[in-house]
Amino acid sequence: MVSSQVVNTYPLSSYTFGTKEPKMEKDTSVADRLARMKVNYMKEGMRTSVEGILLVQEHNHPHILLLQIGNTFCKLPGGRLKPGENEIEGLKRKLTSKLGANSPALVPDWQVLLLFRFTDTGESLLIFAFCVYPHNVLLHIILGKLQIGECVAIWWRPNFETIMYPYCPPHITKPKECKKLFLVHLSEREYFAVPKNLKLLAVPLFELYDNVQRYGPVISTIPQQLSRFQFKMITN
Amino acid sequence: MICHPSPNIFKTLPLRRKEFKSRLHIEKNNHSGVFTTASRNSCTKKNYAARGIRTSVEAVLLVELFKHPHLLLLQVRNSIYKLPGGRLRPGESDVDGLKRKLARKLSVNEDGDGSEWEVGECLGMWWRPDFETLVYPFLPPNVKQPKECTKVFLVKLPASRKFIVPKNMRLLAVPLCQVHENHKTYGQIISGVPQLLSKFSFNMIES
Repeated sequence: MVSSQVVNTYPLSSYTFGTKEPKMEKDTSVADRLARMKVNYMKEGMRTSVEGILLVQEHNHPHILLLQIGNTFCKLPGGRLKPGENEIEGLKRKLTSKLGANSPALVPDWQVLLLFRFTDTGESLLIFAFCVYPHNVLLHIILGKLQIGECVAIWWRPNFETIMYPYCPPHITKPKECKKLFLVHLSEREYFAVPKNLKLLAVPLFELYDNVQRYGPVISTIPQQLSRFQFKMITN
Repeated sequence: MICHPSPNIFKTLPLRRKEFKSRLHIEKNNHSGVFTTASRNSCTKKNYAARGIRTSVEAVLLVELFKHPHLLLLQVRNSIYKLPGGRLRPGESDVDGLKRKLARKLSVNEDGDGSEWEVGECLGMWWRPDFETLVYPFLPPNVKQPKECTKVFLVKLPASRKFIVPKNMRLLAVPLCQVHENHKTYGQIISGVPQLLSKFSFNMIES
């Protein structure tokens, strides 16, 4: 684990994005998800999940990479640890599963990325960016080279409900889930393969801050939790 | 309660170890006194013109009560809550400045340098783009000249501590669950403290 106050962020154009086969969500609804969580809790006890905060920079402002499912729901790449699994190894496993290119003959293609730009008048303007690559590029991705940084937040789920808190509430002795967010240090060049059924977004911190309605309590508080780091915005 | 060992273990001490006493009202000058928002902003403008961006440091001090961490807050005039801290002098380091402020606000020897206080890591930073009161946890794009930067530090309490509080202020221990997301009562910075602390595992020490 890397512990550093300085976070290097590279422009989005530094990275190459392609697609891979769809990775469907295990649950089709929130109710299903909570029910499955209950079953797992009976078998394995409290669920520990790990998620990664991957940062890029655009226009000298840090952006977080989020996976969008469907039209609105955004989440950080990550997932549940296996019983007894080490947090860092588990996060690498999840990131590779969600975003790693596992087939060496992968052909990168169009990938729509949504970017927000803060205009001079102070409005948030949605623009589109496309990445196109030549065919027959052989990609060897070893996402294991990703440096997992420090843990920046821990959220607790007291009951089998959607509510989570940044502390274990008083009188709760058996929380159902503990979710840990880790900073992930990207190197200058990475290749990401995004499952076809998901979109990968680069969302600026100013768009996330205080925006609980759109991104939920966990993601919308990341800007505060990152505020103590010094971002080194590196341009090409 | 803590299921996984974490490198960030923070010890909180039971509340009854702390003794709170009042002390005589100290003479206030413009920079350590009690302000209305308007007078504070005009004072800030003059200072910015003279010295540039203002850096403030604030301390998060935690105690345990009923097995839940509580945040120590100073309450002024029955309504304004503040973290102990204040503005740095030109050229002063964050840690020295915070120790000085803690000595002034909470210690017996208010002119001391505060060397008995142990300042831990920075939890977060808040930027004020302009003289109005909104702050952000990042420097907003297009803001070239922020007016103030506030840094919040975790401060460790020694095992036994006597607090001396100015008579016009009250020192309160407020549970994290009450402060959490309560912008209206406590303001942006204080209500955001639980989220900044979330990565620490609290080792509640029995007395």
